[in-house]
Amino acid sequence: MSKYRLPKITFWRTVVAVIFAAGLYAAYARFFLGFQQSTNLADAQPWGLWVGLGTLCGVGISAGGFAIAAAVYLLGFERYRQVVRAAVLLSFLGYLSVIVGMMYELGLPWRIWHPIVMWNRRSVLFEVSWCVMLYTTVLALEFSPSLVERIPWVRLRKLYLKWHHHILIGLVMVGAILSSLHQSFLGGLYLLAKGKLDPLWYSQYLPTLFYLSAVPAGLAATIMAVFLCNRSLNARVDYDVLAEMSQIIAPLLYVYAVLRGVDLFTHGGASYLWLWREETLLFWLEIGLFVIAPVALLSRQRVRHNPQLLYFTCALVVMGFMANRLNVSITAFQASSGLYYVPKWTEFALTLATITAAVVAFYYAVLYLEILPKNPPTKKWFMADSPVAA
Amino acid sequence: MPRTKAILIDITKCIGCLSCERACKEAHSFPQDPEPALSPTAFTVVEERGDRYVRRLCMNCQDPACASACLVGALKKTELGPVTYESSKCIGCRYCIVACPFNVPRYEWSKLVPFVKKCDMCYARQVKGQPPACVEACPVQASISGWRDEILEEAQRRVLLDSKYVRHIYGSEEVGGTSVFFISDVPFEKLGFATVSSQPMPILTANALGDIPTVVLVGGGLLAGLYWITNRRKQVALAEAQEFTPGAHERE
Repeated sequence: MSKYRLPKITFWRTVVAVIFAAGLYAAYARFFLGFQQSTNLADAQPWGLWVGLGTLCGVGISAGGFAIAAAVYLLGFERYRQVVRAAVLLSFLGYLSVIVGMMYELGLPWRIWHPIVMWNRRSVLFEVSWCVMLYTTVLALEFSPSLVERIPWVRLRKLYLKWHHHILIGLVMVGAILSSLHQSFLGGLYLLAKGKLDPLWYSQYLPTLFYLSAVPAGLAATIMAVFLCNRSLNARVDYDVLAEMSQIIAPLLYVYAVLRGVDLFTHGGASYLWLWREETLLFWLEIGLFVIAPVALLSRQRVRHNPQLLYFTCALVVMGFMANRLNVSITAFQASSGLYYVPKWTEFALTLATITAAVVAFYYAVLYLEILPKNPPTKKWFMADSPVAA
Repeated sequence: MPRTKAILIDITKCIGCLSCERACKEAHSFPQDPEPALSPTAFTVVEERGDRYVRRLCMNCQDPACASACLVGALKKTELGPVTYESSKCIGCRYCIVACPFNVPRYEWSKLVPFVKKCDMCYARQVKGQPPACVEACPVQASISGWRDEILEEAQRRVLLDSKYVRHIYGSEEVGGTSVFFISDVPFEKLGFATVSSQPMPILTANALGDIPTVVLVGGGLLAGLYWITNRRKQVALAEAQEFTPGAHERE
């Protein structure tokens, strides 16, 4: 038998290859032809799909990491320990994809380091940029043991893991605060768009609403990822743990819906709730996917304890969350800008390629590192010091 | 606050000759072709609204949304009044364009090294004591410039003395005041002027930013407290388990 084999051509590998090829062309278009050739952005819609889907959704869906890490390390929910590494990895890759996204979102990406030395404390975006930098570092440190375990030098490995153990609690606390600030400030960015943003989405509580919606979306995304690992990658996470996690989602969505409703009725946006127009339809699509359907489904034990149905419900939460972010960043600007922005295919291609890269990285990490308890266990190249608690 | 510069545009006087547009393009070495709207090569345009001519240009707000939005401080309100743009700082995030309540900044979408472009009231000329190019070129003094307090007084004088004027100076209180004022005999909303609040835009985000220390302190305290409780419960459970396990002490 020869040692090297060509990779087999499978359906999913073909899909990934096509996405990467399209993304590669889109990257060429962005960097060598410019925004005008690669996007439908304009002065009336200066932030489009890359910000709406790549950044806002990417960061939001990464909220699972801090929530699960805080639950396990600070609140002592030991049962979630078996998914904490997957949750942190998901967040870490989410943040990396956001940073990669910035490289094509920014007009002058080679100046991405400027906020480190050029400060404007009045800018929400300045705070956002620092949160991204610091929290990505925290996530990298939180995730690092999964890689360090693979270092063949015992003493170095032990030294690092011992040192890591000492700072872990601090990391988790700092991470929770940074992540919370970051999630809120993404909503805070749009506070300045008063008068431009549709009343169904503009609110002085945008920071709070962004935060409250990101946590359930992050948890739902984590449940989906773990379910897929169980199904296809031989992971053996107890489905009861996923069911338990899902029980937190419904109350969070409920709190979000109440605050959103009260805000709409106290700030006059409520009169737009029943108008026959595209914005209102998309608003109800968002609420239906993100709040109404999941709350109804998750209240049933039959749904929570049926992994397939739970996966489907979590997919609704994530889709509803994405609808919200895209509504805030695109739909809500339509009426005031007078521009009907539809992203160019190259915009979709680049974002899709970035997300796909994160998914592929997650796949191989779960396959080759100790991310989730597995059956049979990951083949150990070297003795691991702290295998994932099962 | 030190005295700042301002421009007053009297819509009743404008004859639509486009001298200001041409002078602006010349001052910035832009191609002279007339453009229908603000662009990276048109910092001011004269728009026809019914039988009136309305100039569009950066309002150079007193407390600009763009300057508060800019994460690297490329846009700033100068002592002299103009809101300037330091292109060497800009990273191209375009938040200023999202933030501007008057939709003024333009982005060079077609360029591979794109920058933000907008009027800065000819800051370079003003420093030397010269008026903005557009004002200097106006043959009928529809646009005048000078110290902001004097210009505002002049605007008030005209509006009070002549009943044809709408009794409002656009820019005197919009978003907390601007450096460009308009007076008109036709209501401003009919001329396409943005209806904005009299509150400076940066206040909208200042509150959220002011919450950072609270979030850090309260959040940090809460998390530390919860961790302490969790840890304590673990210790107690461990101690109890040892106490009730026969022979636990010998094993130690």
